[in-house]
Amino acid sequence: MTAPVRAVGKGVARTIALIGALARFFVRTLDAIRTLPSAGRRVTARVLVKQIWFTALQTIPLIIILSSILSFLVISQAVRELGRIGATEYIGRLMVVVIVRELGPLLTAALVASRSGTAIAAELATNKVMGEMNALEGMGIDPLHYLVLPRFGAVVLSTFGLTILFDLVALFAGLVAAMSGMSPDRYFDIVLQSLTFRDVWVTLVKGLVFGAIVGLISAFHGLRISGKPTEIPIASSQAVVGSIVAIFIGSGLFVLLSI
Amino acid sequence: MKEVALRFEDIRIPGLKDEGLTLEIRTHTAATVLGSESSGVDVLGRYALALLRPSAGRVLVFGEDISQMTRSAALAFRRRVGYLPADIGLLHNLSLSDNVALPLQYGSSMSEREIEGRLRIMLAQLRLTDVAKRRPADVTEEQRRRAAVARAVAFDPNLVIMEDPFDGMTTRAAAELLEIVRGGETTEGSRRTVFITGQSVPQSLEPRIETHYRIARGRLSVRT
Repeated sequence: MTAPVRAVGKGVARTIALIGALARFFVRTLDAIRTLPSAGRRVTARVLVKQIWFTALQTIPLIIILSSILSFLVISQAVRELGRIGATEYIGRLMVVVIVRELGPLLTAALVASRSGTAIAAELATNKVMGEMNALEGMGIDPLHYLVLPRFGAVVLSTFGLTILFDLVALFAGLVAAMSGMSPDRYFDIVLQSLTFRDVWVTLVKGLVFGAIVGLISAFHGLRISGKPTEIPIASSQAVVGSIVAIFIGSGLFVLLSI
Repeated sequence: MKEVALRFEDIRIPGLKDEGLTLEIRTHTAATVLGSESSGVDVLGRYALALLRPSAGRVLVFGEDISQMTRSAALAFRRRVGYLPADIGLLHNLSLSDNVALPLQYGSSMSEREIEGRLRIMLAQLRLTDVAKRRPADVTEEQRRRAAVARAVAFDPNLVIMEDPFDGMTTRAAAELLEIVRGGETTEGSRRTVFITGQSVPQSLEPRIETHYRIARGRLSVRT
């Protein structure tokens, strides 16, 4: 009779413990910026640039394809449906709210999580399995400085940059889709009239926050394993699932806070 | 009289039944502490680097109790000690040369140019020049071990800690690596202090090592 309650209680306790561990890991990661030795900055910066190459630059084609297809589909359907009732001026608000402010940061972060988050978790888990953490510690290199900080920073910066790219591509793909029902001047007029300063900063803040969520959760799950090789795919899977769930919850919280 | 580089005081390990482990290693000498897998000698290197804290007793390195160090002080201390872990611990996503360069980039004030020069010397000395750009998974076990030795001594530390360093190596290769780790000898005896733990070392290397500790049948014996 009490078994279901116990099971739910256990699940809740596990989730709270996980959130607590993530919060501690986040604080330690931020503190690592302060404790990074001056000689280590050069190495950390090099790892950061390398990670930006993998996370941001190699993801650009994917972002362009995904964003342009999504925007083209949504706006071409909207032009057709709203055109029937003579309400095409709402396309601007649709583009800004649905694509630029909501789907842009969300889908970009989901893409970064599934592409780079899994890779980071697997790489850090492999570092642990191969005894590389012990070797780094033995050389006086804090794994937080060398492994976590540059990857975390790179994912934050990359997600931020890719979110901006996603939105810009979406705006231009939307123009192509809207041209069947309106002129380019009219399209830009209604989109820019709908775009407020608040939309811009919410989108940019989301890019940073979602990037931090993906970077943090991926590194956390990579380092959380006890050291068995069979845990590497589990860490990857937990990183991508955890990141995606967290960015969806984050997206919901942004909506709640902005009402 | 040589100073004490490393001193273990009353450390509890499974191989010693009724007493704690107390021993010391003098500067510019090499010492081995050998024992079976269950004796607990495998953790002594990590105790000496403050990677692990002993449940009892203390470890003094150059007179300093390392268990009292803060984390940042312990990290700074380790950047001055060469370490060759039992599982080698090369970073799998870096080439051998990048692995060797890492402690130089991270723990020294050398310029990129100086690091490059030092790297070239180390790779040539360890006969790794031809495979320097390969990753650890693409070279032989002996080359991985050579790279780990190069990494441990590249920044010219005073003290080198090695765990099972000659495991699976030929006697000749082991002798060569030991000589590289010990460094050049002068009249002042400026060779490095080398602390080796493990189950065994090749017999032909024994004359090259000044102090031999062995833990067997619950007792510690020493031979110089």
